[in-house]
Amino acid sequence: MSRILEIFLGILTAMGGFVEIGELTFMMNAGSLFNYRLLWVVVIGVVGIIVYGEIAGRIAAVRGQAVFNVVRERAGIRLGLLTLVAATLVCLLTCAAEIGAIAMLWELVTAWPYRLLLVLGLVFFLLVIWFLPFKAIERVFGLMGLLMTVFIVVAWKMHPDWSQATAGLVPSIPAVSSDKQLLYAYYAVALVSSVMLPYETYFYASGAIEDRWTPRDINLNRIIVIVGFALGGVLAAALMSIGSQFLGPHQIEAGLPGTAGLAAASEMGRAGLWLALIGMFFAFAGAAIETAMSSAYDVCQFFGWRWGKFCPPRTAPRFVLSWGIVLLLATLIVMTGVDPIKVVEYSIIFSVVILPLTYFPLMAISRDADVMGVYVNGVVANTLGWLYFVLICIAAVAAIPLLVLTHGGQG
Amino acid sequence: MTSTQPRGDYVDLFRQVLDHALFDADGQLCGIVDDIEVSGGFGEPLRVTALLVGPGAWGPRLPALFAELAAWAFGTRSTRVPWEEVCELGEDIKLRSRAAVLGLGTMDRRLGRLVGKLPRSDKGAP
Repeated sequence: MSRILEIFLGILTAMGGFVEIGELTFMMNAGSLFNYRLLWVVVIGVVGIIVYGEIAGRIAAVRGQAVFNVVRERAGIRLGLLTLVAATLVCLLTCAAEIGAIAMLWELVTAWPYRLLLVLGLVFFLLVIWFLPFKAIERVFGLMGLLMTVFIVVAWKMHPDWSQATAGLVPSIPAVSSDKQLLYAYYAVALVSSVMLPYETYFYASGAIEDRWTPRDINLNRIIVIVGFALGGVLAAALMSIGSQFLGPHQIEAGLPGTAGLAAASEMGRAGLWLALIGMFFAFAGAAIETAMSSAYDVCQFFGWRWGKFCPPRTAPRFVLSWGIVLLLATLIVMTGVDPIKVVEYSIIFSVVILPLTYFPLMAISRDADVMGVYVNGVVANTLGWLYFVLICIAAVAAIPLLVLTHGGQG
Repeated sequence: MTSTQPRGDYVDLFRQVLDHALFDADGQLCGIVDDIEVSGGFGEPLRVTALLVGPGAWGPRLPALFAELAAWAFGTRSTRVPWEEVCELGEDIKLRSRAAVLGLGTMDRRLGRLVGKLPRSDKGAP
C-alpha cells in the first residue's frame, strides 16, 4: 500500500512541480501568437524530459550517482567545468526570475513595495530550505503546485477549438511573413527548452539519491516520469490553450504572472483567481528552491564536497553555503529592477545551449553495459536518447541566433 | 548495484580512477580524484603512487588562462592520498583511512564549525 501511495505522491509531485514562470509565460504567449500551432513542440518537449528524466533517475538508482557526478566522470574537468559554470548561471537566472515572480504575486495581493517583498521572499526561502527536510520540501511545493490544475479547468471552460488543437499536434510551418516564421522558430526552441529545463533532471536525480533509491526503484522512476511529466505536459498545453482563447483575442501579452490570474478570474471568478495565485506561488516557489538547491547539488557533486539535505548542515557546510549564496545572488539580480520575465526568457534560451553538454554524459554512461549492467539502456531509451540528442544540438545551435534575429522574441 | 571492477591486474586509470569520487573508511564523501601521481623513469614501468585531490591538482588540467584564474580564486592546495590507501575501485573509490587522517575534507570541517553555530545545524533528514 505504501508503495502505491509513494507512486501516487511521486506522480502528483512531478506534475505539480512541472510548470514555472518561464514555461507559463512562453506557453501563454505562444498560444496568443500562434494559437495551437506549436502544440507539437510541447509533445516533443514532454517526451524529451521523460526520456532524460528516466535515464537520470535510473543512473541515480543503479549507481548512486547524480548528474554532475556523471558529468565530471565522463566529460572530465575541462568540458565538465564549462558545463557546471553554464548550468549554475542558468539556474541562478531562473532562480532570480522565480523570486521576482513571487514578489510580483505578493505585490498583487498586499500592495507592499516590490523590493521589500523580494527581501521577504529571500528570508522565506532560506528558512524553508534550512528547516524543512527534503521530503517535505518536495511534497509541500509539488502537491500545492497542483492547484495550477485550475488552468486545465479554465482552458476547458473556454471551449478550446479541438480541431485546431488536433491539427497543432502535427508539425507545420505557418504560411506567414519571414519575420513571423523566425518568431515561430524562436518560440519552438524556447518551448522545448522551457519543458526540458536542465535543472529538472539535476534536481530529480539528486532527489533520487536523497530518497535513497536503489535498483528496486527503477519501475517507480519510470512511472513517475512517464505519468507525472505527461500530466505536467497537459497543464502546459492548457496554458497554451488559454493563451489562444483568452490572451490572443484580447491582445494581452503574458508579461506578468497576474495575467494568468486574470484568465482564471474571467472564467471562475474570485475562487479561480485565488486558486491560480496560490497555485502559481507554490509552483514558482518550488522552482526557486529547486534551482537554488540544484546549483548547490551540481557544484558539490562536481568537486566531491559532501552534499544533501540528509546530511546535518554542520557536516556539509559548502552545500549549505552554495544554496544560500545562489538565493542571495538571485535576489540581488531582481533587486536591480530588471524585469523577472525578461530574465527568465533569457535563462530559458541559454538553457537549451547547455542541454547537449548535460545530456551527452548521461547517454554515454547509461548505454555502457560495463557500468550499468542489466540496467543499461534498452532499444527505446537508446533510440529516443540519441534522437533527442541530435534535436537539442540543433536547437542549441539555433537558439542564440534566433534570440538575436527576433530581438529577444519581440519579432 | 553494478561496479566497474578492475579487469584482472588491469586498471583503466582514465575510466576507473580519474575524476571519480573518493569515500573514506566511514563511507563519507571526501573528494574527487583530481589528478594521479605516477613514478618511474624512462624505460621503467610506470607505477601509480598517489591520488591528488584539491584545486592544486585540478587547476593545472585547465587551459593556461583558466588555470591561473583557478589558482587565484581557489589557491594551489592539494592533498596527496597514497595509492596504498585505495581498497576498492568501483563507481566510487573507497579508502582505508578516515578523511581527517588523510588530510581530506579540511575545508568542510573548518566551515562546519561556523555553520554549526546555527540552530538545528546538527539535524539532517531526507
